[in-house]
Amino acid sequence: MLAWFFSGAFLIGVVLFQPIPAVSAETTDTVCYECHGNMPGTLGEPVKLWRSSIHAENGISCHSCHGGDSKDMANAMSRDRGFLGVPKEKDIPAFCGRCHVGVLKDFKASAHGRALGKGGPTCVSCHGNHHVLKASLELINEKSCSRCHSYDRAKVIKTAMQDTEKLIVDIEGRIAAYKKIGADIDRLEKGLFAVRNHFHSLFHNVDVEKVKKEASQIQSDLKKLEETLAKMDRTQQRRKIAGVVTVAVALLAALLFHLLGKTFKHEKDV
Amino acid sequence: MNLLKKLFDWIEVRVGASELVEKQLTGYLLPRNINAWYSLGSVLLFIFVLQVVTGILLLIYYVPDAEKAYSSVSHIMNNVPYGWMIRMFHAVGSNMMVLVLLLHMISVLFMGSYKKPRELNWLTGFMLLTLVQGISLTGYLLPWSQLSFWATTVATNSANAIPVIGPHLVEFLRGGKLVGAHTLGRFFALHVAVIPVAIAGLIGAHLFFLKRTGVSTPPFGQKETGNQWQGDSYRHEDHPGGIPFFPNFMLEDLRSISIYLALFFAVVFFNPYLFFPSSAFVPANPYVTPAHIKPEWYFLANYQILKIFPNELIGLAVQGAAMTFLALLPFIDRGKEKHPLKRPLFLACTVIGLLVWLALTVWGHYS
Repeated sequence: MLAWFFSGAFLIGVVLFQPIPAVSAETTDTVCYECHGNMPGTLGEPVKLWRSSIHAENGISCHSCHGGDSKDMANAMSRDRGFLGVPKEKDIPAFCGRCHVGVLKDFKASAHGRALGKGGPTCVSCHGNHHVLKASLELINEKSCSRCHSYDRAKVIKTAMQDTEKLIVDIEGRIAAYKKIGADIDRLEKGLFAVRNHFHSLFHNVDVEKVKKEASQIQSDLKKLEETLAKMDRTQQRRKIAGVVTVAVALLAALLFHLLGKTFKHEKDV
Repeated sequence: MNLLKKLFDWIEVRVGASELVEKQLTGYLLPRNINAWYSLGSVLLFIFVLQVVTGILLLIYYVPDAEKAYSSVSHIMNNVPYGWMIRMFHAVGSNMMVLVLLLHMISVLFMGSYKKPRELNWLTGFMLLTLVQGISLTGYLLPWSQLSFWATTVATNSANAIPVIGPHLVEFLRGGKLVGAHTLGRFFALHVAVIPVAIAGLIGAHLFFLKRTGVSTPPFGQKETGNQWQGDSYRHEDHPGGIPFFPNFMLEDLRSISIYLALFFAVVFFNPYLFFPSSAFVPANPYVTPAHIKPEWYFLANYQILKIFPNELIGLAVQGAAMTFLALLPFIDRGKEKHPLKRPLFLACTVIGLLVWLALTVWGHYS
């Protein structure tokens, strides 16, 4: 019996946790960076840049854009296996637009899109090619815009969008905080995703009047999300009030039992 | 009033309730120098009952299926009225139970109450400690979160270090090569049926031994602090002139339970996430390993020991030896003296042991 028990105790209480290596979402099955990760210069650089990109963060790997067979090293770059390689400059919007469909449409209709192939910018001009940056207002800045034209018009657009962007970032932070404590934020996340996509489509439109008009609609959608979050905040607040009451009742009960105990002790001593 | 008296008399002549009350409550005398630490056993009993009740309530909505477990827990937390509270009572309660159990054991150690003839009380208590750890470990998997999945993967994987039987043991624990639906089924059965029944049985045995040997006299405030039992015949330790269990000590028990509840409610209502890292709220994904998986706080020392030793087997053997030593302490420490200040070697070893455990726990947390 004892031997059995100690075996059990040994297993349960003792056979325990070992440190494990940190592995992130980047370990999606792909052979690309087994070679390119160790290559010098332009062949290895994309892997380093990609690691800190929004694509890496979301598990979008090399083959997601460049195609090919990510599980077969020998045929990873075979055209027969769908390998696309590096797109030509004029093909870049269509290359990215396979996933970012709405953005491609807005881009094509914009002044930027119309200048494609005539010295105009492509997606990578602002977002980078491997170190792909998360879409944010920070991408609109004097340094970046003035590479091609004056910053004045871009500045007007950025100013018009700033309040909305701030609100989005704020709501995103609040949703993330609730996610960390297991709150059901699925609908909120989807709602914010839709609103943010709508908002970010304006980035590519580069039409000042349209930005101003749609920003107010977007702000009203964001207010609805804010209301839901405020309701959740109130629930959390109510729980804290309930906590104050229950802790106080428990402490009062402890005091009551203590005093009653002293009374009985006193009676016995008398 | 007359009707109540008639009812009482009716019961009295049939079961002899007055005699029972006199013998087990008002006439059950405890040492005059008994202290609040003695009420931790009652606090533990209260926590166990609360765990059983909240566990049964959780069972109404919980689905022990790998596909549905996480969403069922999320449903309890977000949609079921007061579901979050029941779940937090259960999860926070399991941590508090280990904490109070450790305090209870430490108080028994310092008061020398494990010494003969109470070896069986100590052994059943030690078994309860390991079973409580076991029920916590099996319960950890049930929400089927990233934390659950990977903590269980690592915990069960450690058994691999045991020579010869290790790999078979891992497969047996998991119900397959990897942690999966079969592991969840096994851990669920252990958590809700096997271990609770074993704990209830051991609590019964623990209380039985307590009743048969009598409550030990604390060594504090006494002139004679040596163990009086000769080992020649059975003897119940009586306390003539002591304080009655009812109402005196029961009020002490109730006071301790109320203080515990105040602390428990403070955690549940103000910081219930004290024991939950954010990976506890992400559904299990066998393909994505979170960066930092740490065990529950009471296993951090074990975790750190495994990291210190270069060989996993040595780390396990050291811990196994420590646990076995602790379990067999009443058979190893056969001295009569109970007062800790009159036992410098014991005092030094216990204090150093506790400090080492604390240091390893803190180290494990930050490593």
